[in-house]
Amino acid sequence: MNFNPDDIRTLAETVWEVTLAVPLTVDTSGQSSARGRSTVGSIQITGAWNGAVLLDCSTEVARKAAAAMFSSWPDSVSMQDMQDAVAELVNIMGGNLKSLLPEKCYLSLPSVVEGGDYSARVPGSRVVNREEFSCDGHRVTITILERLGEDKRAA
Amino acid sequence: MSSTATSNAITPDLIIPFMNAVTQVFQKMVGVPATVQKPYLKTQTASTYDVCGIIGLSGQVAGSVVVSFAEAAAVNLVESFSGTRFKVSDPDFADAIGELANMIAGGAKQHLGGVASISTPSVVIGKGYAIAGMSDIPCVVIPCTSPRGDFAVEICIKRHKAA
Repeated sequence: MNFNPDDIRTLAETVWEVTLAVPLTVDTSGQSSARGRSTVGSIQITGAWNGAVLLDCSTEVARKAAAAMFSSWPDSVSMQDMQDAVAELVNIMGGNLKSLLPEKCYLSLPSVVEGGDYSARVPGSRVVNREEFSCDGHRVTITILERLGEDKRAA
Repeated sequence: MSSTATSNAITPDLIIPFMNAVTQVFQKMVGVPATVQKPYLKTQTASTYDVCGIIGLSGQVAGSVVVSFAEAAAVNLVESFSGTRFKVSDPDFADAIGELANMIAGGAKQHLGGVASISTPSVVIGKGYAIAGMSDIPCVVIPCTSPRGDFAVEICIKRHKAA
């Protein structure tokens, strides 16, 4: 199933506003900026629907989120703070998206990958939604993947 | 204030099933004997090796399990597992890494003493990246050796007690 893109956009903007008091705007330019160092938070949904939610943002956004979430200055947040902030954001996003699913589903705990030279994949799944945002000029991408059934994986 | 609903202590009964699963999966499914060494507490966030399969657990036991391979070991072990020597950039390589992580987590799951479901694996390949779970849960690393290369299993899970 695909999620309604408007639901994802509204949800992301609301989470950013309520949790961080930082504006997040939909980026419809279609131009992806240079990736650079990035932080990817992921959370898995299992049960009646199986898939994952990925929150991919630049390190600048992770730093800004951590500063807002933990009431500190951006220069003083630690790597752990940034990872915790992105984990919490993807946890909130995953929890809210789970509520849009019709049947009983469960959330895993979030995991976060941070670095500058890596690729992250979810084998055996397909992208059902990808929404691009901008946070003070820095990119934020939310991707929802659905796990393929065994028949489709084998095809 | 104390929490009675969740235990963040990572105890041997949460570690031993993974040690057993590693031995069995590599012997039976990969055809390579793997030896597990003494687990230790992970104190830094950098990934142990360059190729990682990450599995999430949810339910009464929740958290994440990372199976981390040195790149050469990953290529060799995937070759033993699948019968094909894939390049690291090949999607089938990532699929095989995910499947190895899936089998280890799946093998351990039934012995964790609680209802848990395992997620779709995600695979991270690169250099100098860090993987973090929840900062309030300690992470234990099980170093593993095999004739085709070294790898490690990182366990960051907690048990929710029944209310």
